[in-house]
Amino acid sequence: MDIRQATIDDLLGMQNANLLNLPENYTFKYYLYHALTWPELSYVAVDPQGRVVGYILAKMEEEPSDEPSGHVTSISVLRPYRRLGLANKLMKQSQEAMVAHYNAAFITLHVRKSNRAAISLYRDTLGFEVHAMEKSYYADGEDAYGMRYVFKKPTPA
Amino acid sequence: MAATIPKHRALPDKENKLFRELLMQYEMKQYKKGIKAADTILKKFPNHGETLALKALTLHASLPEPLTVSAVPKKEESEAMARLAVKKDITSHITWHVLGILAKSRKDWDEASRAFAMARKQDSDNIPLIRDSISLFTHTRQYSAAVAARHHYLLLRPQIRASWLGLMIAHQLNGDLEEALEVYNGYLSTLQKDGATGPEKSQVLLHVIKICIEAGKDQEGLDKLRQGVRDGVISPRADDLTLPAQMLTNLGRQEEALQTYQELLEQNPDNLEYYRGYLKSKGIDMTGEITADSREKILETLSSFAETFPRSSAPKRLALDVAEGDKFAELARAYIVKGLERGVPSLFVDVKGVYSDSAKLNAVGEIVEEIVSKLEKEKSLNDDGSISPPTVLLWAYYYLALHLSHPLHPNPSHTRSLKLLDLALAHTPTLPELYMAKAMVLKRAGDALGAAYEMEKARLLDGQDRFLNGKAAKYWLRAGEITKAEELLAMFTKKDLTPVQDLTDLQCLWFLQEEGDAYKRNGNLAMALKRYQALAKVFQEYEDDQYDFHTYCMRRMTFSAYISLMRYEDQLRSHPGYFKGALSGIEIYLNVHDDPSITEEKLSAEDEAERKKAAKKAQKAEQKAKKAAAATGDKNDPVVPDEDPTGMKLLKTETPLDDALRLWKPLERLAGQRIETWLAGYEIYSRKKLYLAALRCLNNAHALSPHNADLHVQLLNFKRLTSDALSISGNGNEAQIKQVIDAQLPALLPSESLQQYNDSFLARGDVTPTSPEEIFAVARGKLEIEPKDIEGAVSVLSKLGDEGVPPSIEIMGKALKYIQRHVAGQDADGAVESLRSKFAGRSRLASVFKSAEEKQAYRERLEKVAAEENGVGEA
Repeated sequence: MDIRQATIDDLLGMQNANLLNLPENYTFKYYLYHALTWPELSYVAVDPQGRVVGYILAKMEEEPSDEPSGHVTSISVLRPYRRLGLANKLMKQSQEAMVAHYNAAFITLHVRKSNRAAISLYRDTLGFEVHAMEKSYYADGEDAYGMRYVFKKPTPA
Repeated sequence: MAATIPKHRALPDKENKLFRELLMQYEMKQYKKGIKAADTILKKFPNHGETLALKALTLHASLPEPLTVSAVPKKEESEAMARLAVKKDITSHITWHVLGILAKSRKDWDEASRAFAMARKQDSDNIPLIRDSISLFTHTRQYSAAVAARHHYLLLRPQIRASWLGLMIAHQLNGDLEEALEVYNGYLSTLQKDGATGPEKSQVLLHVIKICIEAGKDQEGLDKLRQGVRDGVISPRADDLTLPAQMLTNLGRQEEALQTYQELLEQNPDNLEYYRGYLKSKGIDMTGEITADSREKILETLSSFAETFPRSSAPKRLALDVAEGDKFAELARAYIVKGLERGVPSLFVDVKGVYSDSAKLNAVGEIVEEIVSKLEKEKSLNDDGSISPPTVLLWAYYYLALHLSHPLHPNPSHTRSLKLLDLALAHTPTLPELYMAKAMVLKRAGDALGAAYEMEKARLLDGQDRFLNGKAAKYWLRAGEITKAEELLAMFTKKDLTPVQDLTDLQCLWFLQEEGDAYKRNGNLAMALKRYQALAKVFQEYEDDQYDFHTYCMRRMTFSAYISLMRYEDQLRSHPGYFKGALSGIEIYLNVHDDPSITEEKLSAEDEAERKKAAKKAQKAEQKAKKAAAATGDKNDPVVPDEDPTGMKLLKTETPLDDALRLWKPLERLAGQRIETWLAGYEIYSRKKLYLAALRCLNNAHALSPHNADLHVQLLNFKRLTSDALSISGNGNEAQIKQVIDAQLPALLPSESLQQYNDSFLARGDVTPTSPEEIFAVARGKLEIEPKDIEGAVSVLSKLGDEGVPPSIEIMGKALKYIQRHVAGQDADGAVESLRSKFAGRSRLASVFKSAEEKQAYRERLEKVAAEENGVGEA
């Protein structure tokens, strides 16, 4: 699978993948808002037929309290394309971009309390830690875990 | 400069004060007070244009969102009042401005842009007016007008960064790159310290570099970029680093380019473009014809990258596209074995990319057969005798099943595929992928209902997975079970909306297309059309969405992304999502034109029941909405309901061909490379008797693919329609039209005997074996030439069921429908029946060739089995 920075041309493919895979969905304009504010941060995985089969939709915190930080709005890999390590690769690319372009100190995301598979991916594979619990974060009333991953500072020379 | 106020606009002090209060009240959103103030003025001066305009604006702003029933007349009143206001005071910038604002809120961009231009004529230095004008000119692609407005804006606000950069972008959009760079230099020398943040500066500089590349000034771009990196403005990463790589390649600086691509690959070894770029800077173009010499070089390079980046599959997969013969077999086997050992479900969709090359398809088939038989016999793929885990065989069965049923397979075997999957299921009965594969095989074999039942089994194994849920719903739609599909979808949509409403709001393209198709197959053309039109409307939303970004991106300085947006929107409707929906809608309009009686309701008892259910549901929803409205204080004022819940208004159109044309026009403009565009255009124009337009479609289609099967039939059809000048009835220039046709048609359709021409279409040397599409085309050609030759057509069509002709269930199904339509009323049931039984024998699993009784019996059997299985599950 081809992994590359998402362009405007990819947004409909991302919207499609999101609607197929996840219960949290957004209209096209929200994807535009991401791509036209932080064009470097979102990535896609594309199959040989040119179909978007995985994506990470990411942003920077608009009003950071102190240090700049990134946020994953949505990340997903279509079911038939699992076991290729795509989520991991997408996350890594986006994180590196957050540091390189925006000097991000850490990255956050939300996950459903019941979504054990995702929690284990974020914690065990990607090194995130649960940072906070947000009551009734989702539209259906479910709680969310706020997770975060602090980027390692480059050691000063 | 205080111009004297014209008499008709001047107000006495008291009213003048009210007028200024009215402005304030509008700004403060005190709409009730505002309207009262306006009414007081209008009592004395009913013809005061600017007051009328402001009242219209205030009234319009006070409307509820979404619009409720009681607000509809108020909306109409405000629109009428705004128009009246302009009539009463045509030289006021306020009356025009209001007219523009209202048009903008209707998303009528053209009218809005005209109104704002008129307003600016009256008040040329009004900043908000100029800003809106710029957006509207840009939105409606009036780029030179946008440049002029931007220029004016810069003169008024030279100290603001966005004035300069906005003008630069306007020039670029207008195609004037030199001027754009000129403005950028002016900006640099005028605004030294502009307070932009780091990321903003980087966005600006990167975009200027892109303009340099577009203008062919690679060296200048490269210098700017290097300076930017030195200054710490640009971080050398990802897409930003592709710019120097691109420029260095363009400048022929091979070594540096290679090194830059190397860096890029180290950042992301899964990016195919980086590999292509690396090879290109080595002088090897992977997109063109590959010579034997360069093939070897490519494979060498890729193999060394595969060693450097062992965790990336990209270089190994790219090699499969390039390699041939034994080398391909060697690489493919290694790739496939690795995928099977890792248990990667997507291995098949990944590898099938090479199937367009039939030699590779065969080679892969042999490899997997060999793997399967080796694992069955020796339980090992390794020569050292170590046992392979049993899942390897399971995934090999899975791969082989999908391979054997693939549409490109020369001799598909659906039954063997199903047997292989049963073997896999005997090993692991809880793997949803295996049921999904069975569903796909049955779908390909033409058994939509059986396929849906298998997909449902996959779904039941993991009810929390939305992907499986959506797949199951889609398969139920394919089987015509619309209610069932919607019930499933509702498990993942908002609880307070119907799933259709929620999925429409969320712009779910696949659902709108599939449900439209399902309605169409079920014969409910009205609802089908409703879904296809909803799809077209989603694309209108996508187009309208860009509006806010004309100003937003200037503020955020994300210029490159903005320019991509503009270019993307310009070809938005060539997206396959629009393309497919538009063609489906056009087909229905053509059917309505050919036989308006299909718009009369002929509901089966089942449909009738469903219709009643839908009506009840709608009633309930309305009551619910009323209740909700009551709760918020708006008693009995529900949101404006859907005017056409059944789609019948759409279907009962008086102008089906014009409606079809409206869907088609964007395709003409934006999807001219697809032959289907011109084929559909021909069908519309030939029915409209616009023969020159029809001929143009034929010419365009011919240029794309001269031997296309549908084009073949259309040419014969055109010949028949225009065989004599008399049949070209119209506006009096029949003779000239006939002349053009006579001059151009021979290039498309040889003037020899048409019979012979038609028959020879199958015997052409350039295609072997004969494709189902072509057989079907020749049969239709026969009836175009001689409408009574049913016997001849049937005998051609029966070839579709011959051994040696790929069994296309789709074409056989279409052929059967086609011939049934043509023999209607004639004594030819026997011929049709023999065709049906031949097709049924050729594709034993396909439901379309089964009798109603057979289908019913099958349905009952599936239901019973499913019930038993669920029963066991519950026990």
